[in-house]
Amino acid sequence: MGYLFDPHNWEWLVTGNNARFLFEGFLVNVQIALIAMLFALVVGLALALARLARNRALSMAAGVWIDIWRNLPLMFVILYLGLALPQPWRDAYESAAPGFLPEALRTGRVFAALLALVLYNSAVLAEIMRAGILSLDRGQSEAAAALGMSYWQRMRLVILPQGLRRMLPATVSQLITLNKDTTLVSIIAIEEVMRHGRVVTGVNFFGGVPAPVLQVFLFIGLMFLATNLALSRLSRRLEIRERRRIGTTVKPISGAEDQLAVARVD
Amino acid sequence: MKTMRWRWLAGLVAALALGACGEEKKSATATTTTAAPAAAAREFAAGTTMAKLRNEKKITIGVKFDVPPFGFKNPNSGNVEGFDIDVAKAIADELGVTPKYIEALSDNRIQFLKDGTADLILSTMTITAERDQEIDFSEPYFVAKGRILVKGDSDIKSVADLDGRKVCTALGSTYEQTLKKQAPKAKLTLVDSYSECLESIQNGSVDAVSTDDVILTGMIIQDDTLKLVGGELTTEPYGAGIKEGDKEFKAFVDEVIAKFKSDGRWAASYNKWIGQYTKEQQQPPTMTLEEALDLSK
Amino acid sequence: MSKLLDLLTENAGNLAGGLWVTCRLVAGAFAIALVVGTFVAALRIAPSKWLQRLGGIYVETLRNIPLLVLLFISFAGLRRAGVPIGPWTAGIASLGLYTAAYVAEVLRSGVFSVSKGQVEASLSLGFNYAQTLRRIVLPQAFRTVIAPLGSVTIAMIKNSAIVGVSLLALPDLLKEVRIIGARTFETSEAFFWAATGYLLLTGAATVAFRLLERRFAIRR
Repeated sequence: MGYLFDPHNWEWLVTGNNARFLFEGFLVNVQIALIAMLFALVVGLALALARLARNRALSMAAGVWIDIWRNLPLMFVILYLGLALPQPWRDAYESAAPGFLPEALRTGRVFAALLALVLYNSAVLAEIMRAGILSLDRGQSEAAAALGMSYWQRMRLVILPQGLRRMLPATVSQLITLNKDTTLVSIIAIEEVMRHGRVVTGVNFFGGVPAPVLQVFLFIGLMFLATNLALSRLSRRLEIRERRRIGTTVKPISGAEDQLAVARVD
Repeated sequence: MKTMRWRWLAGLVAALALGACGEEKKSATATTTTAAPAAAAREFAAGTTMAKLRNEKKITIGVKFDVPPFGFKNPNSGNVEGFDIDVAKAIADELGVTPKYIEALSDNRIQFLKDGTADLILSTMTITAERDQEIDFSEPYFVAKGRILVKGDSDIKSVADLDGRKVCTALGSTYEQTLKKQAPKAKLTLVDSYSECLESIQNGSVDAVSTDDVILTGMIIQDDTLKLVGGELTTEPYGAGIKEGDKEFKAFVDEVIAKFKSDGRWAASYNKWIGQYTKEQQQPPTMTLEEALDLSK
Repeated sequence: MSKLLDLLTENAGNLAGGLWVTCRLVAGAFAIALVVGTFVAALRIAPSKWLQRLGGIYVETLRNIPLLVLLFISFAGLRRAGVPIGPWTAGIASLGLYTAAYVAEVLRSGVFSVSKGQVEASLSLGFNYAQTLRRIVLPQAFRTVIAPLGSVTIAMIKNSAIVGVSLLALPDLLKEVRIIGARTFETSEAFFWAATGYLLLTGAATVAFRLLERRFAIRR
């Protein structure tokens, strides 16, 4: 305990550029998470619709695709794409990346990281969305059909608006998992908070105050804790509001790692 | 109370967004150092890599970010510094372009060249016949020696004492094979970067680190309770990595390196990054690429 | 195709070794996750506000910090603080304690899935708190938690890949594959076998939990 709270071991936090350097790294994580989430939502919805399609072949193909990406370790996918993503793809990303993104996010390697995060998270989100859609009363779809609506009209006007609303809280908690998972992209040398943390623990090469590993990574952990707690508050609030609005009890969906389970409908 | 919380959250989002914008400007200046404009703009034949890079006004160079004194990111300035960076600057200056540094790890740098992520690799990369199958090398710009680093109070005196001990080196480096040959009973701990080896020996989870002497010297500069032991295990000539088959670019890089070695910049750089700590003098290497390749066979 | 098979036969020893390390990691972490997770879940449903809060802090902290950060803290961080923790202990403990937070949540929601009326009825019949939990709530809760526990287990198998790439440098499946890939330059072939290995493990877990679910399903 003495070591942990010894002010000498925390001095690095207020000297030089260390705290700012870590915070800048953390922002890269948050931005990667937000961008990946945006694309994962779009791709996830397409996958969910394909999975629910009446065309058996399409549904099967979507199911296999979802199951493969959901069951591979994200670490594996990131490492593989980091090594094997073809250069033309990276080039395309580098030239297409908007200028307002920070430098760390405009390299081709970030594309590999984003692609991995989107592949994995879209598969997870597709399952959540499918569950959200299936959780709607069959009567809704039947009533809409009786009114003469086509399949796509029913989906667009009746099913999706309700189903997607129901999965909003789950999406926010998936963002928590995604935010944590962004630390994994450090392994393919993207300049985010873990890399910055390692650099800070080595600052004494430049004559700085020693920054102990324990304290530096506790500080990084606290940054994640604060952000993710805020997100989980938000998720819970949305969930309660939703429950009040529909008047029924949606099964409580908490942390992302188990929300998958709750959302699973066999 | 409810609205208070919402405001707080909105504030957080706003702060993140602002920080994001603020960071963009900073890091743009942080990671790319402006090249001194080449005094006389050299002309390059159209279609060569040099002309292409000149056109794009930048060269992407894969370097180490965590291997002082060769390539290290300084958290205070945000710049990458070191001996490899000096060589990289010399090449970029000659091209008249801005160098852009990306981090090359031991197991991804060959891939970076093959797929074009990097135009050039300068990351303490040893010239080997095996790697020469995949990429091309420049003439050696530095010759390091393989050594062993231990804690000051260690009983390990040489490579023979490594039996049954934990030895750290980087995944994909030449030392994986070297150690398997010279210390077959040592337990290898393969990590992603040498900074992880330094952390491991400092926290005691490995007994020794084996890699190039200059990298180990960098570790001693950071932590003087560590020491080098035993003789030279291997000779490790460093070469710049170039995409396989790009003969014109290789000739260009060789030419810049030859000039760097002969006009005093090599010695100045050596003294700045290594000599001032070890109090040793060293001459630029005279080994040729042929000799370097023969060495690894 | 033959390249793929050649890689497998030439490196069978390393690949099997890596798979075995991954299995040991997962088994150890699973045991810890179940024990600690049950304990934390018990805290969260305990009839004391302070115990509930304690359980809540555990879950919220462990669930909101990245596993990679946890691994840095538990291994390098603790060793620097003078705790001589080994890579296996740090790896299994981190993965287990991290997963325990999810297990606790699954168990808690399982308990809450038993309707309040049943608990009240049981209490009014003269069962005490412990008896109610053991005889009425847990048997029913067990059924509802099998499927979500399966998902948590699969997530844990996938997360075990993080342990190998961290400072701990344990030679798990992913690490071995990267070593093979770096040596042979046949990255895609090597990674193909890692994917196969992980899909086998997660597939086996899926099947095992499906069987459990079927075994304990209520026949109607």
